[in-house]
Amino acid sequence: MATESREREGFGHVSRTVGVVFRYLLLAATLFGIVALTVLLIYVANDAIQPLTADPGWHLTFFVTLVVPTVAVGGYLLRTDPASFKFGGGVVGALAVSTMFAGGAAMIFVDIVQPVTWFGYVLALAVALAGVVAMERFDRQLPFLVRSVVAGAVAVLSLWLVPGLVRSLPVYPTDGLLLTASLGTPVALLVGRYAAAAAGKRGTALAVLGGVALVGVGSYAGPLIGVDPVPATVLLSVAVLPTGGYAVGTVRRHTERRPGLAFAGVILGGAVVGAVAVDALGFTGPQSWVDWGFLTSAHSGTAADAGLYPAIGGSILLMVTVAALSFPLGVGAAVYLEEYAPDNRFTRFIGINISNLAGVPSVVYGLLGLGVFVTYLGQPTGTVLIGGATLALLILPIVIISAREALRSVPDEMRQASYGIGATRWQTIKNVVLPRAFPGILTGTILALGRAIGETAPLIMIGAPNVLFSLPTEFSSKVSAMPLQVYAWASLFASDPFYRAAVPAGVVVLLVVLLSMNSIAIVLRNKYQNDQ
Amino acid sequence: MTDNTNPEFAVDESTDDPTTDDMVTGTDVSESVTSSGATMQRDTVVSAENVSVWYNDDRALRDITLDIPEKQVTAMIGPSGCGKSTFLRCINRMNDMIDAARVEGDLYLRTKNVYDDDVDPVALRRRVGMVFQTPNPFPKSIYDNVAYGLKIQNKNGDYDRIVEESLKRAALWDEVSDQLDQSGLELSGGQQQRLCIARAIAPDPEVILMDEPASALDPVATSQIEDLITELAEEYTVVIVTHNMQQAARISNKTAVFLTGGELVEFDDTEKIFENPESQRVEDYITGKFG
Ligand SMILES: Nc1ncnc2c1ncn2[C@@H]1O[C@H](COP(=O)(O)OP(=O)(O)OP(=O)(O)O)[C@@H](O)[C@H]1O
Ligand SMILES: [Mg+2]
Repeated sequence: MATESREREGFGHVSRTVGVVFRYLLLAATLFGIVALTVLLIYVANDAIQPLTADPGWHLTFFVTLVVPTVAVGGYLLRTDPASFKFGGGVVGALAVSTMFAGGAAMIFVDIVQPVTWFGYVLALAVALAGVVAMERFDRQLPFLVRSVVAGAVAVLSLWLVPGLVRSLPVYPTDGLLLTASLGTPVALLVGRYAAAAAGKRGTALAVLGGVALVGVGSYAGPLIGVDPVPATVLLSVAVLPTGGYAVGTVRRHTERRPGLAFAGVILGGAVVGAVAVDALGFTGPQSWVDWGFLTSAHSGTAADAGLYPAIGGSILLMVTVAALSFPLGVGAAVYLEEYAPDNRFTRFIGINISNLAGVPSVVYGLLGLGVFVTYLGQPTGTVLIGGATLALLILPIVIISAREALRSVPDEMRQASYGIGATRWQTIKNVVLPRAFPGILTGTILALGRAIGETAPLIMIGAPNVLFSLPTEFSSKVSAMPLQVYAWASLFASDPFYRAAVPAGVVVLLVVLLSMNSIAIVLRNKYQNDQ
Repeated sequence: MTDNTNPEFAVDESTDDPTTDDMVTGTDVSESVTSSGATMQRDTVVSAENVSVWYNDDRALRDITLDIPEKQVTAMIGPSGCGKSTFLRCINRMNDMIDAARVEGDLYLRTKNVYDDDVDPVALRRRVGMVFQTPNPFPKSIYDNVAYGLKIQNKNGDYDRIVEESLKRAALWDEVSDQLDQSGLELSGGQQQRLCIARAIAPDPEVILMDEPASALDPVATSQIEDLITELAEEYTVVIVTHNMQQAARISNKTAVFLTGGELVEFDDTEKIFENPESQRVEDYITGKFG
C-alpha cells in the first residue's frame, strides 16, 4: 500500500529515446570510418608483408623475445609510471622515424649529391655565418644598410668561392670524414646542447665532441660490419645521434624517467635478440614484398623483381623542392596578411579566395602547371623542378591558411609587450611573433607536404614518366614518384602478380612515409600545446 | 639620467614649444579640475593639455589636462571604463595600434608634443616603458626577456651587468640568479610581473607606465610590487593605474581621479585627495558611495 502510493507520487519519466538513438547513430558513424580504414590497411599490409608465410617458429621466437617482454614491461610501466612509458615509447618511435629519414638522406648522399659538394656548401655557409657574427660582435650600431650589404656580400662571396675551392683541392679526406664534418658536426652542435642540459659550457663541448667522434668512428667501423662509410655516417648523424641526444638530455632533465630507457632497451634488445635467434635457429621469416630488394631496385617487368628505388628518390627530391618553394612563399604571404595588411574588403576577399583555392581539385593544379610551366614558359615536361613547382602551388593555400592560424594564436599581449618597449613591427615579428608561431607553422607545413607526397594527378598532367629506372640527379631531370609508380603498376602493368605483389608493397611504403611525417607533425603540435 | 637630445625621438626640437608655465593658464577648461597645489616644486615630465580620445564615435576621454611630476608616483583611479587605460596609452601612443582610436589635444613629454607629425612613436616608446595588467613575459629565457629592450634598441654596453642590475632593482635577482636560462613563463605570476618590470626598466626609460600591475597577484606579491614601485620612483617617473584605493593612497604622491564619461574630476596630492577632496563626487567615490 505504502509503496504503491510512493510510486504514484514519483517524479515520472522524461523520454530519452531520441537522444539515445542519436548518440548511437553518431557512434556508428564514427566507427564506420575507422573500421573501414583499418580493414583496408590490414588487407593491404597483409598482401604486402604476407606474415603468414613465415615459419611458426619465427613468430614464436619474436613473440617470446619481443612481444612478451614489451607487453609485460610496458603494461607495468603504463600503470605505475606513465611519463616513463611515454618517454620510452618516444625513444623507440624517434629511432624508427629518424632511421627512415636517414635512409632517405643516405640515398641523396649516395646517388645525388657528392659528399664533397655538400661539404663545400656547408663550409661556405659556416664561413658566411662566422663573418656575420663577427660583424655583429664588432659593432652593434652599424646602420642597417651597411650591415645587410656586408652580410649579403659575405654570403654570396663565400657561397660562390668556397665550394669551388674545396673541389679544386688536390686531395680530400674520405667521404666518411667529409660527411662527419659537414653533417655530423652541425647535428652534434644542436643535439649536444640538448643532451648536456644544464652541464655548463664544458659539458656541452664534451657532448658535442663526443657526438662528432661517434660519427667519425662510425664512418670507419661501418665497413667492418658491411655498411659503406657514407650510409653509416648518415645513419649515425641523422638517426642515432639525435635519438641518443634526446634520450640522454631527457634523462638528465627528468631523472625520474629513467625506467623509460629500460623500456626502450627491452623493445630494441628484444628485436635484436629475436633477429639473431631466428637466424641461428634457421626459421625463415615472412616472404614480404616490402624487402631490401624492393626498396633498392628499380622497376622491372616481372612483379617479383620490381622495386621502388627511383620513385622513392623522386618523391624525396619533389618534397625538398616543394618545401623550399611553398614554405617561404606561404609563410611570407601569411605573415603579410596577418601582421601587415589592413583589415579591409580587399584583404578579406584575398582570404576567401585562398580558402577556395585550398579546395580546388589537384588535377586542376596539374593543368595549371602544364599550362604555365610547359606551354607558356617552355620548360621540358616531367622534371623535378616542374613537378615540385606544381605541387608547391597545390599546397600553397593550405600552408598559408595553417600559418595564418598559427600566427593568429600568438597572444596579442606578446605583441603589445614588444611594441610597448619600443620595438618596430619588423622587430616584433622577427623576435616575438615568428618564434612563438613557428612550431604551429611547421606542423601545418608538414601536414601539407603529406598531402603533396600522395598526389598523382598533377604529376600525370605535367608529363612525369610512369616508369623511371634511375634516380633523378638534377632539378632538370625527369622524375617519378611513389604514388605515380604504384598507379603505373596498377594500370599499365595490370596483371595478377603486380596486383598481389608490387602494388600493395608500394602502397605500404607510401603510407609508412606519410604516417611518419604526420607523426612528426603531431608530436610537434602536442609539444607546442603543452608549452602554452 | 637620460639624454633629452635623443635624435631619434624628435627630428627638430623647436624652441617655442609651450612649456609647463603655460599650463597654468590653460587649466580653465573644466571647473571641476583642481589645479595642483604642489607642495614640492618638481619638473613636469608629462603634461597633457585638453587631451580627448574617441573610439569611433564614442568619446572615452574629455579634455584631460594634467601635469605629471618627475620622479614621483602618480596614480590614476576611477571606476571601470572611465578611460584610465586609454589615458595611459596616450602617453606612449599605444593607441596608435587601435584602428578605431582617435586622439585630440596636446601631450608633452618634457617639451616635445608627442602627437607632432615628426614624432616617431617607436622612438617615443623607447623613452617610456610600460608594464601591463597581466604579466606578459616573452616565451624566452629570463635573460633574453630582460635583454630584449637592449637588443632591439641596439644599446651598447655590458648586457650581463644591465640584466643583473635590472633584475636586482626589480627585486627578482635573488630568486632567479642561478636560472637565467630558464623560460620566463616558468615563473610564478608575481615573479613574471617583476620580470616584466625588469624588462621595462632595463633600457633605462624616463617614464614607466603601469596599468593595474598588481591586479592579477596575491597580497604578498602585490606588496612586493608596491615596495618596488616606491623604490623605482627614486629614479623614474611612475604613472600607475589602479583599482585599489588603498594602494593608491599607500604608494602615490599624486592622484588623478577619473569618473565615468572620461572626465578628470580631480588631480592633486594624494593626501589631499584622500583626506579632503575638493569635489563631492570624488569624496563619494573614495568613500565607496558611488562607482
Ligand atoms: N579598443 C577599444 N575599442 C573601442 N572602445 C574602447 C577600446 N578600449 C576602450 N574602449 C572604451 O573606452 C572606454 C574607456 O576604456 P578604458 O579601457 O580606458 O577604461 P579603464 O578606465 O581602463 O577601465 P578598467 O578600469 O576597467 O580597466 C570604455 O568605455 C571602453 O568601452
Ligand atoms: Mg584599464
